[in-house]
Amino acid sequence: MLSAFDANWSLMTPEIVLAVLAMIIFTIDFMTGIHGKKPFLGRLSIIALLVTAVLVIFVNPQGGTIGHIFILDPFSMIFKVILLVAVAIVIAISMYYVEKNEDIYQGEYYSIMLFATLGAMLMVSSADLITLFIGLEIVSISSYVLAGFKKHRKKSTEAAIKYVILGGAASAFILYGMSFLYGLTGTTSLYEIGAAIPGVYEQYPFMIMLSLLFMVVGFGFKISVAPFHMWAPDVYEGSPTSVTSFLTVVSKLAAFALVMRVLFIGFGGIIEEWAFIIAVIAALTMILGNLIALAQKNVKRLMAYSGIAQAGYLLVPIAAAFNINVSASTIAFYGVAYVLMVLGAFAVITFVTEESGNEDIASFSGLYKRSPYLALAMGVFLVSLAGLPATAGFIGKFYIFVGAVSGDMLWLAIIMIAMSIVSFYYYFGIIRQMFMREPKTSLDGQPAGTLKAPAGISTVVGVSLAGTIILGFFPGILINFFNSFNWMFMFF
Amino acid sequence: MVPVTFFLALGAVLFCIGLYGVLTRRHLVVVLVCIELMLNSVNINLVAFSSIGPFANITGQVFSLFIFTVAAAEAAVGLAILIALYRNRESIDVIKQDIMRW
Repeated sequence: MLSAFDANWSLMTPEIVLAVLAMIIFTIDFMTGIHGKKPFLGRLSIIALLVTAVLVIFVNPQGGTIGHIFILDPFSMIFKVILLVAVAIVIAISMYYVEKNEDIYQGEYYSIMLFATLGAMLMVSSADLITLFIGLEIVSISSYVLAGFKKHRKKSTEAAIKYVILGGAASAFILYGMSFLYGLTGTTSLYEIGAAIPGVYEQYPFMIMLSLLFMVVGFGFKISVAPFHMWAPDVYEGSPTSVTSFLTVVSKLAAFALVMRVLFIGFGGIIEEWAFIIAVIAALTMILGNLIALAQKNVKRLMAYSGIAQAGYLLVPIAAAFNINVSASTIAFYGVAYVLMVLGAFAVITFVTEESGNEDIASFSGLYKRSPYLALAMGVFLVSLAGLPATAGFIGKFYIFVGAVSGDMLWLAIIMIAMSIVSFYYYFGIIRQMFMREPKTSLDGQPAGTLKAPAGISTVVGVSLAGTIILGFFPGILINFFNSFNWMFMFF
Repeated sequence: MVPVTFFLALGAVLFCIGLYGVLTRRHLVVVLVCIELMLNSVNINLVAFSSIGPFANITGQVFSLFIFTVAAAEAAVGLAILIALYRNRESIDVIKQDIMRW
């Protein structure tokens, strides 16, 4: 048995550093009084996240494990770097948002977001049901708090209470599934469960299927796939816009990493039993997400349905997993593209909705006349989300398509293409507003003036724009890098 | 000795009662209580497996301690949000929380 002193605790350096920095930010916050603007805490948070990302890359690059509970393999390292950079971008967007909304307690906001990031890091590198659940709950509970952060706004508190109740029920589902898995295998370690599962499945097929389905329901809720998606539009619409971008990108990607780990390692031995279930869920998600998005008028709600559809695309490589390494690098590439295009779009959305004071799609009307740079950038992000060539989104979708075809799931690939075409309609709805409509006149008949984006927002937009276009033209840089890994290398 | 299946049945019944409560109750505090009920049914399962299951070992009890802790944190956040909601809406009736739909 491994004692606590034998473990190689240096593997957790990035997590420990981030936890300490989050605590320091929390402390500085209550030392400087609860009210007031605190942009320095936002900058400090971004620095903390980037320092942690550097530590993830340079401390223990060869990987390792602490008793098969906490593992550091290429999979967890790459997802940690993606998540940390994504949260840094989210905080850059948030710094603008909290300037505009004085009722948000800024210090608490930043520190809770950092704690959520810590949970996400724990999620992607845990290989044990207990740590995995703890990481998931750290992210979830922080997200409940963040969703209700504008506590005097009816929409925000309503979103938070819906999120708490449905999230709590989903956690109970996950745990109920896990309890049977533990009972039938006698261990909570995913590697040991993975080794035992083919034999146990022979013996108790129904119990294992029951536990698998309960876990799929719970995880499906966390990654918001149909038919467990109904919380997402309400929560995304009601939450503060910067928190919406956090939920769309960070919570979802971390939960995806978790789902891959559980399905590939824990249930890898009975892949033919669950691949079809996941494929059906993916198809349903793509169809429902894209079709319901057509009817949306609120831009945050539209992005929520678009996020549901994107979750469907991301499930395709998991369902068609003929090779774990190919699936993992496809998902990681689409994850990078997703972070860039969604966060870029959210930077523009946050700016435009805050300036115009309403969240209707019509608030984008005439954006090209008011701010050509933002309008063009938003156009590129939307084209990339729709999956047109010369953007990162196209390359990502192309790899998912190829993976689905070589995994013998041609029907799924066809649904994916058909639904991408449907998605053009609602993405181009926003583009039409930006380029082909005149700016709305204000109440006293004055045309709306030009918009000047603050430095933070234009930096985020610039970085995301550059990334989206560069990955669209030279995807080889990242793909060759990702393909050189043995993603879920096991340490024994 | 009582077989482990009896405890599993108790857990399943509690889980279903909790789920029924979450889906049908209109009072938000009762809904939160029902979520606790669902989580505690998991604890019964884990403790039963850990003492008289086919592979009895201590891990299940450790797992259930973690679940207690998380359930307490979740209840604390849930009740705090409930109070914020009550201040905004003067009601914690589930079906009246309908500003956002579709």
